[in-house]
Amino acid sequence: MRSAVEELVYRSCLLLDEHDFGGFLALCTDDFRYTVEAFSPEIRKNMIWLDHDKAGMKSLFETLPRHFSDPSPVTRHVTVYTVTFDTDGPRAAVVSALQVFRTALDGGTTSLFAVGKLYDTVVMTDGRVALAKRVLRLATRDLGIGSHVPL
Amino acid sequence: MPRTAAEWNERPHFPRTHYVDARIYTDWDIFREEREKIFARTWILACHESELAKPYDYRTFRHPAGQTLVIVRGDDDKVRAFFNICSHRGSTLVNAPAGNARTLTCAFHAWTFDCRGDCTGISRRKEGFQERLESARVGLRAVRIERGPGGFYWVKLEDEGVSLLDYLAGALGVLEPYLAEPLEIFHYQKVRLRANYKLWHDTNSEFYHDFVHYFNRVTGMQQPGYFGRKYETYPNGHASVGSMRVRYDQYQGGTDRIGWPGLEPGGWFLVDLFPGMTFNLRTSVLRIDTAVPLAPNEVVVELRGLGLRSDTSAQRALRIRDHNAIWGPFGRNLHEDFLAVTGQGVSLRDDWTDARWLLHGREETNTIHDEVGMRHFYAEWSRLMGRSASDPFVDGSAE
Repeated sequence: MRSAVEELVYRSCLLLDEHDFGGFLALCTDDFRYTVEAFSPEIRKNMIWLDHDKAGMKSLFETLPRHFSDPSPVTRHVTVYTVTFDTDGPRAAVVSALQVFRTALDGGTTSLFAVGKLYDTVVMTDGRVALAKRVLRLATRDLGIGSHVPL
Repeated sequence: MPRTAAEWNERPHFPRTHYVDARIYTDWDIFREEREKIFARTWILACHESELAKPYDYRTFRHPAGQTLVIVRGDDDKVRAFFNICSHRGSTLVNAPAGNARTLTCAFHAWTFDCRGDCTGISRRKEGFQERLESARVGLRAVRIERGPGGFYWVKLEDEGVSLLDYLAGALGVLEPYLAEPLEIFHYQKVRLRANYKLWHDTNSEFYHDFVHYFNRVTGMQQPGYFGRKYETYPNGHASVGSMRVRYDQYQGGTDRIGWPGLEPGGWFLVDLFPGMTFNLRTSVLRIDTAVPLAPNEVVVELRGLGLRSDTSAQRALRIRDHNAIWGPFGRNLHEDFLAVTGQGVSLRDDWTDARWLLHGREETNTIHDEVGMRHFYAEWSRLMGRSASDPFVDGSAE
């Protein structure tokens, strides 16, 4: 079961890398929620930088073509650290390290874009694993020009 | 029709107030001179009072003139600013960007200072300095600081000169009715961009670039009232933009916003303050930009998002949602603004520019796509620099 959970996390990153947003959302439960957080030592507060339910994510993805976005490909490198299964339910808490690299379209220079950790909640039903919740806790706070696509 | 090299370099057929020489964005001598003649002499927004809520809270600030400051709320509740350097050997006094400390201790040789800037401890003083050094002569370097509208603290490196109120010259007047309630910061981000600081402030000073923002086109430009928004200019290079009713529901997935006390639904005021600060009250959130130049082609933009201190957790969550939708690191507009301005930074780069002139020539009776905000900025810039922004090196090239 652990390998199925790990593969779900890896697959979610591969699909986002490929801008297969429909495929990404298909991995998620109907009550999926995605949050990006970062702690600011400057104001000594936790900050929410993105917080969407599944409908919000879908809308975000659908409006992307209407916006002016950086076309540079982004590559997510993820390592699953821990998978902790609930003792009383078909759920698992997954902690993974995430590094995101951006490759310039012109010339192909790759640079580190962001590092952080993914805190995923995965549910298992009918032999299928699905992403119920994702919290990305970013260590990187200077994201340069930023991104329209969640990491 | 494409132009030859000679034609490319010809001055635009506009009044000199309506374009600038691109070298003002790339030249190192001009950059150094800006630090001395502009940033060291003008009031600069450093932080908000909610970043220093309790006695002994401190906050560091990299000043656009180059110095690093530490701002401290004293035991007497007074907020003071100092150079963030130890009087002994110039080491950085406070390393964390914020914290709370009754004593500021230099880690290098353990000298200590209090929240009023007094030196309170010199390690092994008698053994080494005997009676030759008095603590009173090695206090911290104080910096003028004043609290402005909305509870923001502003600093000025010069001991003399105009008050903050005189410097603002009424520019924040359009916002003051909405800044009466105590505010609280919920978002802070520093972003390092490859672009000149003025290019960032230019972007905040003109709305013609709404063409880059799909969000602003459907919720603003295509709605009644947009082209009626007017610029007002104020002494010292400041400008403001009047409000309209933004239709957030016109964007897919958009909803009405929580609003702001006294502000009309969907209302949006913006004030640009010379030389690089912007107050942007957009319906439910106040955003503050402070540009801190590091080099001709490098700027750190400090971005703050604020709500009301009286917000319930549910209200605050809505303000954060509204903020992030367009202004967060993954928001619709911020990324587009950054792409646009760093696109300028590619052609106007380190000590070189492919662009020759930048046009600020739109005249639309001071309404939203008029470029009067930028023209007003560069008139003040030229005055303080003693150089014309359109002819900074008096090179005598033909009109």
